[in-house]
Amino acid sequence: MTGQYLSRQKLAEALADEQCLWSAAGEQVEVCEMIAGLSEPRSPLSPKGWLYPSLQSVGQYGDGFTSPPAEAPAPRAIIGLRACELAALKYLDKMLLEGQFQEPVYRSRRKSAVLVSTDCAAAAPTCFCTSVGGLPLADDGYDVNLSPVEGGFVVDVASDRGRAWLAAAGLECIPASADQLAQRDRIRRAVTEAVESQNRSTGLEVAQGQSLVLPDDGDPAWQRYAADCVECGACTNICPTCYCFYLYDQALGPGLFERVRTWDSCILGTYHRMAGTTSNMKPTPRPRLRSRLANRVLHKFTYAPQQCGLLGCVGCGRCIEACLGAIDLRQVVGELQP
Amino acid sequence: MSTSDSYIPTPTELVEVIDETPTIKTLVLAPAEPMSFKAGQFIQLTLPGVGEGPFTPSSSPSHPERISITILRTGTVTERLHECRPGQVLGLRGPFGKGYPIDKLAGKEVLVVGGGVGLAPLRALILTLLDDLDPIKRMSIRYGARGMEELLFRREYDQWASHAKVDMQVTIDNPQPGWQGPTGVVTTLLKDLDMTLPECTAFVCGPGIMLQFTTQALEAEGLTAEQIYLSMNRRMSCGMGLCGRCNIGKYYLCKDGPDMNYALIKDAPNVF
Repeated sequence: MTGQYLSRQKLAEALADEQCLWSAAGEQVEVCEMIAGLSEPRSPLSPKGWLYPSLQSVGQYGDGFTSPPAEAPAPRAIIGLRACELAALKYLDKMLLEGQFQEPVYRSRRKSAVLVSTDCAAAAPTCFCTSVGGLPLADDGYDVNLSPVEGGFVVDVASDRGRAWLAAAGLECIPASADQLAQRDRIRRAVTEAVESQNRSTGLEVAQGQSLVLPDDGDPAWQRYAADCVECGACTNICPTCYCFYLYDQALGPGLFERVRTWDSCILGTYHRMAGTTSNMKPTPRPRLRSRLANRVLHKFTYAPQQCGLLGCVGCGRCIEACLGAIDLRQVVGELQP
Repeated sequence: MSTSDSYIPTPTELVEVIDETPTIKTLVLAPAEPMSFKAGQFIQLTLPGVGEGPFTPSSSPSHPERISITILRTGTVTERLHECRPGQVLGLRGPFGKGYPIDKLAGKEVLVVGGGVGLAPLRALILTLLDDLDPIKRMSIRYGARGMEELLFRREYDQWASHAKVDMQVTIDNPQPGWQGPTGVVTTLLKDLDMTLPECTAFVCGPGIMLQFTTQALEAEGLTAEQIYLSMNRRMSCGMGLCGRCNIGKYYLCKDGPDMNYALIKDAPNVF
């Protein structure tokens, strides 16, 4: 089902009682706020926070028993996902669900979610999806896509799940007019041009799936950027595709322990640190911050395409916004790529 | 193995603790259900409430009902593991990783090079090959430790080398009273290798510096990178290719290793 129209008011009415979810890290918001957000640039936080919580019990163990955590989230719609966020989910699906082992919490939440995306009606100053093979409009990976036009949205439904969600929410669409479709295309072109134009000077141009040749993580060229890094880990925390984690145990009582999965950051010095401090053992393969910074960028732009055919960067620009040292990933990659 | 159980260790009884050397102990575990594994695959061993670490069993995969984990005391968790007593319940996850490419060794001369506690994972390989020596042409074991008291599995050397296809040379770093064998680091045993080099496959395990110099020595002897497998050391948390920290370039040691063909990683930075 494509090219339908839904008025803003109808959407507001239908979703008034809905247990819906705005894409910003699982925060539940009022419908009016959610709908207003659909016309704004992508939110500061990505849906990773809900789909893949930063701190999560993965089970308990103790004297002779184990119990996996009970997690069966009710289906819910994540509304307002942007194309970059859909691209991030596509990547996370590859890394967390398509190997020999599947990440259980991400799997259950991901499977429960109805993905309602929206075209970007505006771009944040750090958005650069068009520099990494993306566009500010969703072309696949969604259940329902809403393209903002005057008074409402042009609606595209790409799955039975999306159809069922529309029906359950009582969202009745009417065929979009030729004007509305033309307006959608105009807005799409304008936002795409805006993103392209704000990134023209960065020189960053990577095709989706292209593995970049960058200096390796032993190369001093990275020092120029690492000099500004304060090793806070904000970039990995805010990144919609960073998924590295660490498992630790905590005592719940005598003989009973809980295993917790927590986000970790490859930027931090403790990330690679091994046991053993004798003189003939190197405690970490990347003792230098510049090597860790390099490893992060290399993972996104070099290793990820080799691992799964997708870039690990979706061009959302959140890491640029979050960086205390004002490191601009566009500049880093733009300057270091051959 | 693809559920959340993968994160949670299975309670496993510790049935025996063997003092191997002043710094190394072997913990023998009796899983409630035999855990089948391939030589070179590793497990995650949990000391409840203290921590978890990756170890490659030193025992033969032919006896999955008793899994031996040979541990050097080197950090917080291994320090506490050394204090464990028989009867204690530990936790086990796994097996993880690829294991040694034993099916590729038919017709080969196998060179096993160990340094210190690095002989532990190699013992699983040695025992597996000893189970059936027919497919391979020969197995040559070269092992080095800091001193006589640190020689691991010393009581087994004669038995290993008693097979016609097997020979073993052992060195310690410095001369010691009562030691008649060679002295010097293990690479001194790799000069002028009396092996048919094109048919040789080498497996190396030891500390990073030993891996580095052994690789150099083997290349100087004429082995190609493709003929060398290295047991790489990196921090691991999940063991399942998810948590991210054990990467060398695009590879994750926990799922693509931990024994890596050197040709795959030789151009990566910070390998050693």
